[in-house]
Amino acid sequence: MSAGAEAPGPAPHVELRRVSKRYGAVTVIADLSLAVEKGSFTALLGPSGCGKSTLLRMIAGLEEITTGQCFIGGLDVTETPPAKRRVAMVFQSYALYPHMTVRENIAFSLSIAGASRKVQNARALEVAHILQLEALLDRRPAELSGGQRQRVAIGRALVREPEVFLFDEPLSNLDAKLRVQMRVELAKLHAALKTTMIYVTHDQIEAMTLADRIVVLDRGNIAQVGSPLELYNHPANKFVAAFIGSPGMNFFEVKLDRIEAGAAQVVAPGGGVARARLRAGAADGQLELGVRPEHLAILPFERADAPLKGKIAIVERLGNATLVHVDTPAGLLVVEAKGDVAAAPGAEVGLALDEAQTHLFGADGAAL
Amino acid sequence: MSAGVEQLSARIDAPVARRLARLRRFDRTGLIITIGTLALAIVWAFPLYWAVITTFKHEYETVKPGLRLWPEQFTFENYAQVLVHTKIGIWYVNSIITSTAVTVLVIIMAAGAGYAISQLEFPGRRVFWWMILASFMVPIPALIVTHYIVLSQLKLINTLAGVVGPQLIAPVTVIIYKQFFDSVPKDFREAAVIDGANDWQLLFRIYLPMNWGITTALAIITFIGAWNLFLWPFLAVSSEDKMNITVGITQVHDAFGVHYARDLAVAMLAALPVALVYLMFQRRVTQAIMLSAGIKG
Repeated sequence: MSAGAEAPGPAPHVELRRVSKRYGAVTVIADLSLAVEKGSFTALLGPSGCGKSTLLRMIAGLEEITTGQCFIGGLDVTETPPAKRRVAMVFQSYALYPHMTVRENIAFSLSIAGASRKVQNARALEVAHILQLEALLDRRPAELSGGQRQRVAIGRALVREPEVFLFDEPLSNLDAKLRVQMRVELAKLHAALKTTMIYVTHDQIEAMTLADRIVVLDRGNIAQVGSPLELYNHPANKFVAAFIGSPGMNFFEVKLDRIEAGAAQVVAPGGGVARARLRAGAADGQLELGVRPEHLAILPFERADAPLKGKIAIVERLGNATLVHVDTPAGLLVVEAKGDVAAAPGAEVGLALDEAQTHLFGADGAAL
Repeated sequence: MSAGVEQLSARIDAPVARRLARLRRFDRTGLIITIGTLALAIVWAFPLYWAVITTFKHEYETVKPGLRLWPEQFTFENYAQVLVHTKIGIWYVNSIITSTAVTVLVIIMAAGAGYAISQLEFPGRRVFWWMILASFMVPIPALIVTHYIVLSQLKLINTLAGVVGPQLIAPVTVIIYKQFFDSVPKDFREAAVIDGANDWQLLFRIYLPMNWGITTALAIITFIGAWNLFLWPFLAVSSEDKMNITVGITQVHDAFGVHYARDLAVAMLAALPVALVYLMFQRRVTQAIMLSAGIKG
């Protein structure tokens, strides 16, 4: 999958070519191009209002494309009605018809297509078997738990044997435990079916764990496309760096001192000197340094080589790790330390940065 | 020690006593309200009781001076006479045909119109909606002459179709359907559209079944309204064979003169199906009345 111009690879399964979506004077998607490879699991990730659901609905045909083209399987489907695009969609609300049983819900598309009752039953049973819904076939949605409803919604998509599965935040109505469980089930389903899946979410953990490619969207534009680790380790800009990772990356302004051997020496607020990785090879003036909590380390206050010093404000014990919030001249920085680290609020500490894992951003937010 | 116990019990008893006094006051108020309500219920129900009981009296007893709350001698002769000597069977059939036709057609047309206004994009949709809203501000009796002229030109006077026609104007039903269809989450429609459903399938397989409760309620209230309608069927039909039960009962009076017991017996027979429908579907009827009352404001 790629954004915009990229080296020629295999023909994309789903392709958006310079698409825009406007509602009157408001532009939600502006001149966006995206290609999704066959069999991939692609997540459209971004904050609320970034246009990710609109993009998915444009692929589904539920939203008209103002300008540009949409291709599925090499065919231009820009003007094709949703039912003929060979896509199936799982909605956030599940959209299960309350007056129908699980069997009828799953077989609805077949019944609309005029399939015989026998075929409908056989296919519904087949899908129910895959999703372990056999025992629930004669129940109505109101008699199901959230997870079961979610599985029925997936079953309804599955029965159509689509070329592309579209998921619109399908797990956001589930509780945290069930969400983890459903995530695993979705991953298994994708591994078994190997069908192209496009998944909209605002939850970066969902995107990171499920997708093999993530498209990060920012105000209707693609901020970056890449594998989960690519986005995590090499964010193209501050927006992606801030959006990916939990707890989020720490940012603070630094002044460039000098550049040597592919690294920048910067002066942090408070006067401490730090070295930061520099990929672009050029930088000047006021920069912003980003460092993830796990790439900060707590040092004794007396250590002269600590580029930042501060006082512990809050300690959050998570068991496997401890989040230490340190009040420094650069602002409140979060450090992810070992679960049993000795840290107490009020204690004065020094902070060390892992140079290889730092990120420098220019005034426009682009990674340097 | 006993003084201490007394003091303690007095401390405990004081709030209990106050609460009991409050309860007694409340009980007295409740009793007065109950008696008042009961009295009103009796005043309301008495004419109905009187009508029913009169139908089981001999005619001479109905004109006897004095108040008799129970027949001196029970008789079914009034019912027998009505059933044997009038065309009540035909009137019943006519009422069933016209009321059922009105109910089925009103529900189908109103659901269709409500769906179109709620879910479809077409030129003039807003104008159409305003026309429907405006149409129920005009009282039906004000249109009755126009209806008569139109149906007369269509040669539908003295036909069952003529009785049904003007009753199909049911803007309130359209408005109720539109409101209910508006409240169906968009996801249901979109999921069905992706599954390949067209608008007919959307209406009859998703929207109507999802609002089945309201359809039942509206159907019952439309049926009762059509069954009870008097003015239009009375004007539209003069042939006894085409009359509804409501119009037919006037014929009993006209043909045999004033006979209170018999007149009331035929009225009872006319009201019986509606009363049964009401008793069977009481909850739905109340729901429908509340819905239309909410809209009529």
